[in-house]
Amino acid sequence: MEVGGSSESPSETKKSKSKTPRKTKDAAQTLKQKSPAEFFADNKNIAGFDNPGKCLYTTVRELVENALDSAESIAELPIIEITIEEIGKNQYNSMIGLADHGRVDEALYDDFETVKAREKRLAKEARIQENQAKSAALGKKGKAATAVKPIKSRETSYYRVSCKDNGRGMPHDDIPNMFGRVLSGTKYGLKQTRGKYGLGAKMALIWSKMSTGLPIEILSSMKGQSYSSFCRLDIDINKNIPHIHVHEKRKNEERWHGAEIQIVIEGNWTTYRSKILHYMRQMAVITPYSQFLFKFLSGSPDKNVTVRFARRTDIMPPAPLETKYHPSAVDLLLIKRLITETSKQNLLQFLQHEFVNVGKSHAERLIGEMGTDFSPKMAVKSLTSQQIVRIHQLFRQAKFDDPSGDCLSPAGEYNLRLGIIKELHPDMVATYSGSAQVFEGHPFIVEAGLSLGGKDVKQGLNIFRFANRIPLLFEQGADVVTRTAAKRINWNNYKINQTQDKIGVFVSIVSTKIPFKGTGKEYIGDDISEIASAVKTAIQQCCSQLKSKIVKRIQAREQQERKRSLNKYIPNATTAIYDILKEMSRAHASKKRRYDGKDAELLKQVSAQLVTQETLREKLAQHVEQVDYEMAMEYATQTGVNEEPREEIYIPPLEAQCSFTEFHSPIFVFRLFN
Amino acid sequence: MADKKKRRRAAADSDSDSDTLQFKSKLKPDSNILQILKTLKSSAANTAASEKPRPLSELNLATACREVADLPLSSVQSTIESLALSLAHSILSGNGFSFSVPSRAAANQLYVPELDRIVLKDKSSIRPFANVSSVRKSTITTRIIQLIHQLCLKNIHVTKRDLFYTDVKLFQDQSHSDAILDDVSCILGCTRSSLNVVAAEKGVVVGRLIFSDNGDMIDCTKMGMGGKAIPPNIDRVGDMQSDALFILLVEKDAAYMRLAEDRFYNRFPCIIVTAKGQPDVATRLFLRKMKMELKLPVLALVDSDPYGLKILSVYGCGSKNMSYDSANLTTPDIKWLGVRPSDLDKYNIPEQCRLPMTEQDLKTGRDLLEEDFVKKNPGWVEELNLMVKSKQKAEIQALSSFGFQYLTEVYLPLKLQQQDWL
Repeated sequence: MEVGGSSESPSETKKSKSKTPRKTKDAAQTLKQKSPAEFFADNKNIAGFDNPGKCLYTTVRELVENALDSAESIAELPIIEITIEEIGKNQYNSMIGLADHGRVDEALYDDFETVKAREKRLAKEARIQENQAKSAALGKKGKAATAVKPIKSRETSYYRVSCKDNGRGMPHDDIPNMFGRVLSGTKYGLKQTRGKYGLGAKMALIWSKMSTGLPIEILSSMKGQSYSSFCRLDIDINKNIPHIHVHEKRKNEERWHGAEIQIVIEGNWTTYRSKILHYMRQMAVITPYSQFLFKFLSGSPDKNVTVRFARRTDIMPPAPLETKYHPSAVDLLLIKRLITETSKQNLLQFLQHEFVNVGKSHAERLIGEMGTDFSPKMAVKSLTSQQIVRIHQLFRQAKFDDPSGDCLSPAGEYNLRLGIIKELHPDMVATYSGSAQVFEGHPFIVEAGLSLGGKDVKQGLNIFRFANRIPLLFEQGADVVTRTAAKRINWNNYKINQTQDKIGVFVSIVSTKIPFKGTGKEYIGDDISEIASAVKTAIQQCCSQLKSKIVKRIQAREQQERKRSLNKYIPNATTAIYDILKEMSRAHASKKRRYDGKDAELLKQVSAQLVTQETLREKLAQHVEQVDYEMAMEYATQTGVNEEPREEIYIPPLEAQCSFTEFHSPIFVFRLFN
Repeated sequence: MADKKKRRRAAADSDSDSDTLQFKSKLKPDSNILQILKTLKSSAANTAASEKPRPLSELNLATACREVADLPLSSVQSTIESLALSLAHSILSGNGFSFSVPSRAAANQLYVPELDRIVLKDKSSIRPFANVSSVRKSTITTRIIQLIHQLCLKNIHVTKRDLFYTDVKLFQDQSHSDAILDDVSCILGCTRSSLNVVAAEKGVVVGRLIFSDNGDMIDCTKMGMGGKAIPPNIDRVGDMQSDALFILLVEKDAAYMRLAEDRFYNRFPCIIVTAKGQPDVATRLFLRKMKMELKLPVLALVDSDPYGLKILSVYGCGSKNMSYDSANLTTPDIKWLGVRPSDLDKYNIPEQCRLPMTEQDLKTGRDLLEEDFVKKNPGWVEELNLMVKSKQKAEIQALSSFGFQYLTEVYLPLKLQQQDWL
């Protein structure tokens, strides 16, 4: 980095000179430049590439999210195919052209079992067997025979991950730079975006370079192109430039558009299997308008996995709009960047056009407030750093209208509800969409869904978190949604049992800037009161929607179980009463006590076994029967005819070529066919 | 022996700090304090003689009230039998059966200032068998009634725990059978003691009291440090004799231990009673019996927190749960000796022994301020206001910060000398 020497005062230069001799002594301290690609290779954990398992997971999610973005950008319903293929060691070696070497010196390897270790293991196994035999002899139902742990193998596993979509595709000439150069995007302005790191497939490419050294393969075609582009490349990490192996045009006869990316990386399927499947499932919840086909292929067919997430609707949320910064959301550096990038000439225009919620008169007032050395007509590029600090100060102190949420694209209650129904098949579902709110100059919208019961849902709280319409899977414990759902919602109020019921809590937060916490950008902190209260309100709204339904269901269940729960107590009650009667009749017979009239009659019948416990029981059962009948009638007249449970079906149109106009509402879409 | 002890104590105290001395020096000789206590006793005896218990019917209250009486076993039996007959008739005529149970909810309680205790109004609820919400309760009620009937026939006493274990499967939890037991005594219109069901021993008594327990004479000065457990059924207790000048009611076991070990009752003749927290029926009956027969003033030593005052009120005005029997369970005219919120500053109790009140404490305190039995005593209202305002509470043990025996040697004597009770 070069420092502008002209502005430095002489005294400072002197100082730095006096220091230099000491520095030069330290010969190792030579100034080195690091390319962005190198930086990310060294710090791959900040982009979610912590360990081989997580690398596989993050690669999948980056590819899927790129594919979704690409399809949505041309308003095409996404169809995405993800395949993970396990590559054996031999296959990998042959791919890179390495001859297979068998082990010669076994003791050289880490998993070699020494004689001592072997004796130890055998002794342990014998002991376990002995114990099992003993407990079996005693008829004890001990722990199921614990399988002897297989010796851990340190063999690395390799996977070919490929992702095919029907999106926009990429222009032929841009492909090498889109993959082979980190931080090459020229994103200008502010927008709700899916990617968390903005690195996409590039980081996956760096990882493949680090772990396998194999290049990435891209096949892409844009709409209307008669050819498709094929490119095989890897990245020169030191120079941060693409290293192209093949870059050619191929025939594209079926007029396919989209992209297919193939990459070979080191990974770990066994430990991250459930995370990847959860990710796919949650993605299917939040994007019910897309279709996913997920495949895992390996050498042994019994381990193969194929999951298909079908499309449930053909309504997509509108693409998020690009917006300008809100004055209260910018920092010094950002103002400087905006100044260098702006096409506006003077300060007035700059304020008016590069920020939201600053009108012309407002901008004039602001400039007046800045001080005497500011004027509306002054050239914006000539502002000194002191003047920029003044602008920044004013932005912090002055009052601006809150940014509107129009630029955001929430999933929408419609899609959220369909997504939940599609993937969980719950007994009940409620959704709520909050209005836009503001945190530090960035608008955000919180949407929530709540489901009860369903398929593959465990008892208790199941939290599904989404930020800018992508699922968050890690660091759940500290997240604002988890905390709110577990601690601040009184589920009992809504007749929901927090430990027994299968509760699905879905919260989707969209914003131009999600305030992630931690390096991994995996959770949203619990310390932002605006977001915490918005999440709480959204969940509570869903709860109160469900409450009346739950109450009705409880009533219906009571209705069904009334007779049974009443009959259960008949023997207890009649035995107690009959016992007293029997004692009394004994006293009556022995003339110890006297009773008159019908009481005496009753006691006589008891002595004569004309009235027995059985009689009381029958009579009480008859009464219960009658009461039950009356109450059932009353219930039926109150609630009306029972509604038959309806099956919800979705029939996609065969030929979606009709032209129509859509009218969107948060909960339904109205289509006018022309 | 007491004198010898005192001398030893005086020697030990010579090096205690100024705070303790400051209050200790205010103490007059024990004979002066004894004189004060004697006048207190005689005035208590006089008021007790002049005050006749007024029956509820004489008061002409706006609402009808329900009260129960001690019934002999035979009449309990016949009440149960006529109830059982009516249940049987009702079942045989095909109408199922139901109980009419007096409600013991807060809305059905009434504080009667003339009597200075809570009574139960006459609202009652129907508990039908053929209703999902009440089937369990009405079944348990029949079962309890049948068990009581057996007790009547055999003329024996059992504990609440015994009762619960006769049908664990039905009762499920002892709290269920206990609650229904109170309902049953309401239904039958008799006290719980007349049902021959007693609770386990909880309260203890020590000091200048001699009484007979089931025929055996008990001298409570010779019961060791722990004292005599208060018999669960009061019928066994009789022939009370005492030369005590007052009864000291203690909330906590720990403070009771200190008083008993220091033989406080020998220095100032008194009877010391504790129920170790919320008082049970037996302790309340025993206290009332002592007060009525011996005509002694009752002074209470409780924690300086809302629960201390609540416990005091249960002894004095009765609990809401058992208000139907408040006539037999309450002891009128209990004086609040300490530890009162105003004592915290008066006796310079150090900051580290005071605790901040929780939200729950403050709420209980404010609720108590609304209660009639607190309002009738302006001194109590003032103290409670002070507590809620300072948001501080302290236990009796806070006094131990000046030495473990500060309670018996300085605090209580000084309190008695200054006649500092409300």
